[in-house]
Amino acid sequence: MATQLRRSLLTLIFICWAISSTSSDQVGTSYGDSDQIRSLCISDRFIMESYFTTTHTSLDDSEFRNFLLHQQCSSDKIPSEHDPNIVPATSLIQHRNVTGEGSHRNLLTSIKLLPLYLEFQLQELVILERLPLGVFADPFELQSIQQRRVFSDVSVFGDTNLELPSFRSNRSVVEIHVEVSPRDYENGEISLKLPLHARYQPLDDSGYSRVEFGEPDLFLCSSHVQNHQHEQRRCLVLSIGRSKTETRSVFWDIPAGIRGHTEYVSALTFAAAVLSAISILVASVLSSKVESCKNSKQS
Amino acid sequence: MSRGSENTDDVPPKWMSFRSLLVFSMILRVFLIVYGEWQDAHMEVRYTDVDYIVFSDAASLMASGESPYKRTTYRYSPLLALLLTPNSFFHRSFGKFLFSASDLLVGWFIHTILKERKVPEKICTYSVMVWLFNPFTFTIGTRGNCEPLVCAMILWIIISLMQGNLSQAAFWYGLVVHFRVYPIIYALPIILVLDSKIFRSGQKPPLENWNTGQTKTPTSNTEKKTFLFNLFTALKSLFSRERIMFGLISGGVFLACNAVSFYFYGHEFLHEALLYHLTRTDPRHNFSIYFYHIYLHYEGQFSAVEKLISFLPQFTVQFALVSCFWQDLVFCIFLQTVAFVAFNKVITAQYFVWFYCLLPLILPWSRMKLKWEGLLCIILWIGAQTHWLLWGYMLEFKGLNVFLQLWVAGLLFLAANTFVLVKIIQRHRFSPLFTRYESSSPKHVKKLH
Repeated sequence: MATQLRRSLLTLIFICWAISSTSSDQVGTSYGDSDQIRSLCISDRFIMESYFTTTHTSLDDSEFRNFLLHQQCSSDKIPSEHDPNIVPATSLIQHRNVTGEGSHRNLLTSIKLLPLYLEFQLQELVILERLPLGVFADPFELQSIQQRRVFSDVSVFGDTNLELPSFRSNRSVVEIHVEVSPRDYENGEISLKLPLHARYQPLDDSGYSRVEFGEPDLFLCSSHVQNHQHEQRRCLVLSIGRSKTETRSVFWDIPAGIRGHTEYVSALTFAAAVLSAISILVASVLSSKVESCKNSKQS
Repeated sequence: MSRGSENTDDVPPKWMSFRSLLVFSMILRVFLIVYGEWQDAHMEVRYTDVDYIVFSDAASLMASGESPYKRTTYRYSPLLALLLTPNSFFHRSFGKFLFSASDLLVGWFIHTILKERKVPEKICTYSVMVWLFNPFTFTIGTRGNCEPLVCAMILWIIISLMQGNLSQAAFWYGLVVHFRVYPIIYALPIILVLDSKIFRSGQKPPLENWNTGQTKTPTSNTEKKTFLFNLFTALKSLFSRERIMFGLISGGVFLACNAVSFYFYGHEFLHEALLYHLTRTDPRHNFSIYFYHIYLHYEGQFSAVEKLISFLPQFTVQFALVSCFWQDLVFCIFLQTVAFVAFNKVITAQYFVWFYCLLPLILPWSRMKLKWEGLLCIILWIGAQTHWLLWGYMLEFKGLNVFLQLWVAGLLFLAANTFVLVKIIQRHRFSPLFTRYESSSPKHVKKLH
């Protein structure tokens, strides 16, 4: 009994490991001391709400980490790094994949909630998908999903311009809220399907551009109470920015224009336009002259 | 369509009367709107156009006192959002009913215009059916696209001109250009047709009827000089009273609408509702031959010379069509619209409605037989579109790199448009909308009271 209680107390604070990735601008960049972020205390409905309303105009992974550090609750304890009772975060993401074909696909994620989290009585699982450049989520599509009660809440932050190609756009973040009940802990898995769409990619001689996904950031939060604007919500940090190198790489190959086509495409496009214009011009002038001749004969 | 004096053979059966067609069309559209609501609620693929959701959201923002431009991708006049504010407090389908009613109104206007020009009833009916029973037409309004509103306004402008109502024509012209920028291309032929020898304000101008072609007086034949001479004489009297009035009224309405919109919504309105359409280049795939060229150059910038060169074919075609056909106003604006869409930097399917509403107005004057020349044109045009859609499907839904094939399909679509346009020109029986005053008998001149 005492052992169980100690285990429960120690698992209040959860360690999140992020392993260094190969590129600093990829999703899933490791943070050397991210294990010190235990829980957040936020007063907004969404964790990301205040990120883009401050000085940040685009998503940067290191700035995001600093942002989370500033949202930390002041009363967190730092657990022992060698405590064997702390369950590693890698067990949370069971499965991650991009499914579908073409420019409109779904990012599937299965999350395993460990029964010990039930003791914290935090009722909302919050998932932050920091999307890579090259893909976007349609806020209006997500709204209609929310209306069908698939998520309890969802919002897109960052660049929500759906029309720009990737080389003229910035990254965006999708924050998803899912209500969790004791049944979810028994069943063991929560599955999420996030519809995503491809932007037009930078030109590439291979004809395809690869977009790679890291892992989402996971939090377990107390429920947001409507109209209690200044009440702080506590969010337990489950996982932040897991590197794609630790898990199976999730990627999406998107068709891209081929630079080698440029010259002859431009030349033939203009040639076609000129040829068509001349055809219509000649037909118009000839038709006009034929009508004049006909009327002259009739007179 | 062959000509002849109207007799019992020219009268369609009762079930095909215009009134019956209109009632049936109305029932069909109501059914589609109701069905659309059901599909939206029960199926993953929505019936409603995504643009309608944009309009409704913008209208809802306006109804709550905010700017409609807070809704991303809302690129229309605030008037549209204002028209759809009942969506928020009455029913979300109000806008669809409004657009479908406009669609039926277009059918009514087509019938009115053709009857004014004494087209036999049977030919009128068939022409109206080309609009009312075109699957593209009856789905576009019921899905919530606003183009039928624009079409109705343009046809009303034609009717106003035919009735000698210059100020009304000018008012609606200013409004429609504010609403949707593209009708600006009609400015030159309308101005040219307001020649004081043809059109006098306050008088119903003499119309050239459908039967008139065989009964032209020698005087009227000698009036038909070369197109260059006609253009020269028209330009000589450029600053006639009617032209100045039309310019002032339409320009005034256009500026007033823009000023009011700017007062309420500032630069957001200017950029989203006007400048965006004037400068739009979209690298994403569409029917235009320019899309891949734009995508391949999108990382850089086009020089001013390159932009000018790309505009030249469009400008040349528009000028040629106006110069040759301005007297046959309806035919002229039909050709201009087809050419404008075909040579545009961006082509989406909704643009086709712009000339679909004018097609029934030129069919009675076409010598093209459905078998087999007409069918060939239809098959080529639809075939080229279908071919493009096939490659579009491969790119967008299968994720294959088929940009080159898609671009070639765009070239073929331009070729099909050109072929159809040339055929229509060759088979058209030129018929000016108005006859000249000095050549017509007094009975054709009616004073407006």
